Amino acid sequence: MRGWSRDAYTNAHAVISICTLAVRSQGQARIFPFVKPLTISAMTLTCAAGTGLQAVRSALANGQSGLRANDFPHCSLDTWIGRVGAVENTPLEGELAEFDCRNNRLALLGLQQDDFVARVQALKQRIPSERIACIIGTSTAGIGVTEEAYREMGEAEIFQPRHRLPRVHTPHTSAAFTARVLGLDGPVLTISTACSSSAKVFASAARLIDAGLADAAVVGGVDSLCLSVLYGFHSLDLVSDQPCRPFDRARKGLSLGEAAGFAILEKETEQGYGQLLGWGESSDAHHMASPHPEGMGAAAAMTEALSRARLDASAIGYINCHGTATPLNDEVEARAIASVFDQPPAAASTKAWTGHTLGAAGIAEAVFSLLALNDEFLPAGLNLDDPEDDWSEFILRESRQQRVDAVLSNSFGFGGSNCSLIFGSLAS
Amino acid sequence: MSLSFDVIGAGIATTGVPDWEAFLAVLAGANLVEDRQTPPSALLSPRERRRAPRAAKLSFAAAEQACAMAGLAPSEPIAVFSSGMGDLDITDYMCKTLKDSPELLSPTRFHNSVHNAASGYWSIGAGATGDVTAISGWRDSAAAGLLEALSRLGDSDQPVLLVVYDDLAQGPMRSLWPTEHAFSGALVLTRPGAAGAQARLLAEITRADSDAHDPLPATLAERMADNPAARLLPMLGLIAGHGQSITLGSEQGPGISIKRQPA
Repeated sequence: MRGWSRDAYTNAHAVISICTLAVRSQGQARIFPFVKPLTISAMTLTCAAGTGLQAVRSALANGQSGLRANDFPHCSLDTWIGRVGAVENTPLEGELAEFDCRNNRLALLGLQQDDFVARVQALKQRIPSERIACIIGTSTAGIGVTEEAYREMGEAEIFQPRHRLPRVHTPHTSAAFTARVLGLDGPVLTISTACSSSAKVFASAARLIDAGLADAAVVGGVDSLCLSVLYGFHSLDLVSDQPCRPFDRARKGLSLGEAAGFAILEKETEQGYGQLLGWGESSDAHHMASPHPEGMGAAAAMTEALSRARLDASAIGYINCHGTATPLNDEVEARAIASVFDQPPAAASTKAWTGHTLGAAGIAEAVFSLLALNDEFLPAGLNLDDPEDDWSEFILRESRQQRVDAVLSNSFGFGGSNCSLIFGSLAS
Repeated sequence: MSLSFDVIGAGIATTGVPDWEAFLAVLAGANLVEDRQTPPSALLSPRERRRAPRAAKLSFAAAEQACAMAGLAPSEPIAVFSSGMGDLDITDYMCKTLKDSPELLSPTRFHNSVHNAASGYWSIGAGATGDVTAISGWRDSAAAGLLEALSRLGDSDQPVLLVVYDDLAQGPMRSLWPTEHAFSGALVLTRPGAAGAQARLLAEITRADSDAHDPLPATLAERMADNPAARLLPMLGLIAGHGQSITLGSEQGPGISIKRQPA
């Protein structure tokens, strides 16, 4: 039986000297209890760049973006989107019909890749389903169906029967759906903090497991294109009319995308893609839609992640940036990186492959980060011709083969919600 | 698996029960109090007050009480905001506007449409730079919030503010979410041993798909039936000295049973 009174306090003392090395940029050393790293024993990703890991890997290797000129129904905006084909014509049927929406169709397509369902079934042979948590990040959830229900409800303002799906019109829909499909009976939780949602699932899973409330977790993120986000980001003047160009001097805004990604987190397993070494979560406390101008919250998240991982900043070999390609976001993130790292490692945003997948960006980029560890391949950003001077030293312009032992992935969202994750190779 | 914790602050805001004092009276059998104009949140500037969505105002009402009872500045605790449906007022606005005139969508209302709008405004208003998160468990958001909040007590020595809230739906969504009364409830949790604890409790996860607790006055029981967020009421009652134990059930995953411990 584990509680928090034991490990939390004793381990904290043992690591003070290491932590003070790591925590420096914010001027205040915070000591976090030691949490034994969890292994990512399985993972999968479906996004515009590819359906399943093999397709994603070959897109990365070939520099093949998944963005296309906007062809989303009912949307006339002049922009580029990272749309996953094959979800329009695959309605959920039978006992899953009550979950039918684009988000959950995309979730199911994602779950069907990379033997993920079989890997979860194998996990359930080792760990009772009651002890496996299911934590899913999303921002859009099933809102696409709510939009459609309004569009088709007529003068009476009553939803058509096919839209009366209580399990779809809630932010919780895709966590409930994923737990149902996989037969998971541990805690089922949705995290919905905009674009940091599915990075934070890793932290929540680690805490639940450390507190003894679960023994393993399926984490993930699912977000799907819908009019709310297409017109919403347009209303904020944050959408580019060209494929997005993260960290380029000529960047004009983001390209929206959609994705579903999942991972299994478990203890004491030697096979897998890597380990979750640390995480950092912070709030800007500044503005709902604009980052703190000095990147305070972003820097705090990265610093906390290093502190939890007991790593000096110099141990990080690659950063998968949030890198949305809006003029301000990239500038602030680069500034935050430069404040945390004396000599920033190679860094890049992979959003020009996928589009900004919002609530799924955290899991998508966790997968990219873990692939970088495993494949010894550090992807650069696409459409990056002319980086600004402030970051030309560390933002990658060409992908390269390089072995690294630890990678950091940043996810920052509306509401000033920041999350940084650090993954380490299993061999390290 | 059991986890011991203290509750050092609590708050409530719903029609007829505007604050903790009113809650204690209603719990003891008094009638609901008449609605009165609640003072605006001290955390929001007049400009932010105009911009803040309903979910922020609803959740702040309970959260500020809980922090005050705990003797904490609102910036101090880590915060977990749990809501089954988020801001239904904005959902209605977004879907209507996207139907009729998508190009006219308000940027402010769009960025307020994220599920973490309430928690985001809280972080901005309180100056809270620690983690402030937003979660959902649909009709089980009280239990989901408690699990998330409890798991954080081992993670740092900071107190944890939990806010559970849900609003009533506007427009056609009312047929799917027929709640009549908005509700928000809040707790501040710490590891055991806190000075000035309101209650020392023990939580265990358990298989339970329905709630169990000592009977509550009819007015409060009706609220629980009306709004899933109000399923936090027996927990608030436990803190106020009503009964010895409660169980919060969950449709998927485990429920939580919570019992009183000697302080």
